[in-house]
Amino acid sequence: MASLAALPLAVVGQVEKGFIQKRTGSACQGKPSHLFCFDWARENIDRYGTPTLQQLELVAISIVIGFVVAFALALLAHRRRWLRPPLLAGTGILYAIPSISFFLLLLPITGRSRETAIIALSAYTLQIIFRNVTVGLDNVPASATDSARGMGMTERQVLWRVEIPLATPEIIGGLRIATVSTIAIATLAVFAGAGGLGTQILGEANLTFPTTILIVIGIVMAMAFFFDAILLTIQYYATPWRRARAS
Amino acid sequence: MPTGEAAPDIQSQSGASSVSYEGATKRYGSSGAFAVDHLTLEVPAGEICVLVGPSGCGKTTAMRMVNRTVEMTEGDVLVGGQSVHDREPAQLRREIGYVIQQIGLFPHRTIAENIGAVPQLLGWKKDRTRARTTELLELIGLDPELGDRYPAQLSGGQQQRVGVARALAADPLVMLMDEPFGAIDPINRERLQNQFLRLQAEIQKTVLFVTHDIDEAIKMGDRIAILREGGKVEQYATPAEILMAPATEFVEDFVGADRALKRLALMRVSDIDLWEAPLAHVGQATAEVRAKLADPDVEVPYPLLVDSERRPLGWLSARDLEAETVPSAPDSPLGPLLDRDDVMRDALADLLQGEAQYAAVVDHAGRIDGVLSVEIISEFLASPQAKTEEHSAVERPHG
Repeated sequence: MASLAALPLAVVGQVEKGFIQKRTGSACQGKPSHLFCFDWARENIDRYGTPTLQQLELVAISIVIGFVVAFALALLAHRRRWLRPPLLAGTGILYAIPSISFFLLLLPITGRSRETAIIALSAYTLQIIFRNVTVGLDNVPASATDSARGMGMTERQVLWRVEIPLATPEIIGGLRIATVSTIAIATLAVFAGAGGLGTQILGEANLTFPTTILIVIGIVMAMAFFFDAILLTIQYYATPWRRARAS
Repeated sequence: MPTGEAAPDIQSQSGASSVSYEGATKRYGSSGAFAVDHLTLEVPAGEICVLVGPSGCGKTTAMRMVNRTVEMTEGDVLVGGQSVHDREPAQLRREIGYVIQQIGLFPHRTIAENIGAVPQLLGWKKDRTRARTTELLELIGLDPELGDRYPAQLSGGQQQRVGVARALAADPLVMLMDEPFGAIDPINRERLQNQFLRLQAEIQKTVLFVTHDIDEAIKMGDRIAILREGGKVEQYATPAEILMAPATEFVEDFVGADRALKRLALMRVSDIDLWEAPLAHVGQATAEVRAKLADPDVEVPYPLLVDSERRPLGWLSARDLEAETVPSAPDSPLGPLLDRDDVMRDALADLLQGEAQYAAVVDHAGRIDGVLSVEIISEFLASPQAKTEEHSAVERPHG
């Protein structure tokens, strides 16, 4: 973290200045060995509200955009098989770009903005969602699509009435992984000037003060559990047949 | 197992269409191998036509031409006199029932939703679909309450019946069945076959039925088309004709060396001329019975003891006849007792298992109708009509 912090401060500094912690609560002042300072946390918990909401917003928007794009690409590749390898490779390359570099690369183009963060965060979800939707559609039993066509469903009906419903578990599975990783990566949106919980970690002073880092980790994990629980609930109600087994 | 006997007047409004193949051909690649080679055959409305042959004979391909899940390279198929080429595939398919070996129920839909799939595509009102679903569940002998379950909650046999019900839902003109009972264990397969035959007797659909199993073909088919590799029809005839007079060596091999026995599976005891046994009643003077036996035309050398209703009680031995009058307890037990409606092959099995030369045959009321013997059966099989001379040594069950 030390080398990381040195690099972007010049860029980040302008906006983030106001956020960089002024440690008021004092009981643990200057004791880096003290892992978590409850006094300080109690006094300063308010300052995490806005960054948390910012991060929630970034995650939600990025996941929706990423899902729409990846889902559309997966349906396209389902009809036109030859599109699959280039799309897998393309989204794979996006996924492989180190996240900080991605934010910094976009800065000259889209500037310091929420949009910059959303572009990068959405791009990261493509690979996971695309792959899962593709696998889900592949795993639909051929007998079900065969009988669907044989009984007179059009290709569109086969897709929306048979294939996509049966691929739901894999599709939601992909969304869950993508969401959890986006929640974590969104902490770095601070480098794009988009705020978020990263603001609460960044700042040289914090590197010797782990309390705020631990609080951020805690909020990020809670957020991940929350989103995961929502998606699991959706899956539960969207796939009643999976709960039905021979009695 | 509940059966479909409680069929409502489900077919009052229904119909069936003939299916005619007219030089229907499928080739892979522009000059590639034939999957189906200029197939021409006519399936009359209301009959079951079985397409049978080894794997790679094009039977499934031929079947799929009817609903255009396989597109012909050349030729035509007429359904009810209308070319399938003139129909929009999805519309055509909604009028044709489709059952496959893997059943292909939609795992994410309930049984009722599965059965209602085609009505839904056709835009039926919900009430009508629901009524039809209940009707069909009863027809296939399933509790209508199972309609709320998912396919995974049903046994394989139940699922297959649902598959048939789903294909029947919109009252199709033609049914396509691709090895529908192929994945079912032998006991349940037999039940499903019987149930489908009972059903078919009521609904009288035109059915194209694909199988690789000649026994199933003989059992299910009104007509059988035997195909060989390269999609050529070797013979198209009724099961009896195919067994009696195989058109080619291929058919003869495919039908198997035991085709005489298979013929027996198509016959009932009442189809054959039975022998008449000399009858004896309790208390009758044995002299009368002995006189009957002395008749040179007598076919069965043992008198059969019957009661006052002519129901057989047992066979009289020579020792029984030494008494003055016929005893009430005969010396020899009755042995196998056959019904006029028994399938001939089962009757033969009963004879052989009972180690009996003769078996009494009774009518519905249990009254004696005649006597069946192993000799009658072997004479029948050896007769020119049965055309089994060349195999007779093998096929006669015993010397």
